Amino acid sequence: MSAIAADPGAPGTDRLPVLSPMLQRLAAERATGALMRDRGTLYLADGQVVHAESPATPGIDVLLTTGGTLRHEGWWDAVAQAGAGQRVGRYLVDSGHVPGGALELCHLGALYDAAFFALAPTGTPARFRYGVSHWIGPVRPVPVAAVQRETLRRRELLDRIWPDPACDSAPVVRSSAHPGDSPVPARQRAVLELADGVRTASDIAQALGRSAFHILVDLRRLAAAGLVAAVRAQPLPAAASAPGRITLPEVTADPDIALLRRLRDALEAL
Amino acid sequence: MPGIDECLLEVMRLPGARGASVVDWTSGLALGTIGESPNGDHEATAAETAEVARMTAEQPAFAHLAAGSAAAPAEAAAGAPSTAVEDVIVTTHDGYHMLRFVETAFDSSVFLHLWLSRSEGNLALARLRLGELAERLVLA
Repeated sequence: MSAIAADPGAPGTDRLPVLSPMLQRLAAERATGALMRDRGTLYLADGQVVHAESPATPGIDVLLTTGGTLRHEGWWDAVAQAGAGQRVGRYLVDSGHVPGGALELCHLGALYDAAFFALAPTGTPARFRYGVSHWIGPVRPVPVAAVQRETLRRRELLDRIWPDPACDSAPVVRSSAHPGDSPVPARQRAVLELADGVRTASDIAQALGRSAFHILVDLRRLAAAGLVAAVRAQPLPAAASAPGRITLPEVTADPDIALLRRLRDALEAL
Repeated sequence: MPGIDECLLEVMRLPGARGASVVDWTSGLALGTIGESPNGDHEATAAETAEVARMTAEQPAFAHLAAGSAAAPAEAAAGAPSTAVEDVIVTTHDGYHMLRFVETAFDSSVFLHLWLSRSEGNLALARLRLGELAERLVLA
């Protein structure tokens, strides 16, 4: 229901826009391997997403060890014992390090989180390496369509909370304009306390051992309340910094440049 | 070792259970679903119930942890329970909706949503059982 009003400018497109034509094609051919994009990697097995990683968000190891679910030694033991066999997830559960349900919850959260960043619009061509799999091993595979739908829904969610994406990537700082008059929920307060003008959303996520998308949501709420602002590196000419819907689903028809190049090469070789 | 699916199957064994899901209330993501959904779309339902769960979890009136807890901010930042709220119950003319917060050792904002038929369901039983299952989901 949330996708209906998304594209008023595109008549007759009741289908969701495709985030990555390459990913779509790989799902259709039930491919196994790693899709490497500018801001992250999606691991596929039989055309389903089994894992995702992005430098923008903490990995499952950070998420599990920060809260104390798993001690660092437990993590490294699992990697040492089961990494080569690519069954680290299974090993963590079987050896009693992490309860099965907790691993699924944490892994799914990390997967959708990393996929959100990995599928961000980019001009850099994606690459796919067939046959590559991740050492975490099978936990709970997710259909490509679900990941694309969720990524689009998340972009809209952020935009609905506060339409300015400035806080997503720049260092954030508490604004002094509003002293603590309005109560800030505990989870947002933890984020607010780390907004020191140096840390970015990703840094805060890493420090709290929390999903970076969750931090983006909190930062947009805090920005909407006037409690944080992005630190702008150099003041750009006024025309260049027009806020608003800059990087939103309209851009999603990323031309899959790698594919186009391969097509062109193939045609030239005829 | 129970996982999300086993947990949801157990939830559905409650008398009058019509549908259930495991949802992240910060993002509105459905992590697992089973049975029917009130509006025929589990993902939309998850996003809607997540908003209710979030509003409840974040209200200062419900965040009151213990009498005279002046140290609440530090305590909350240390991240013990993510909310003082255990569950939310919404009653409609033909059903009950129960949102049960799941406490995990790692950082998360997860709840279980159970949709119960009002004529067949037993609210007290369902509430107790959902609490047990929410604990078992993240215990070995």
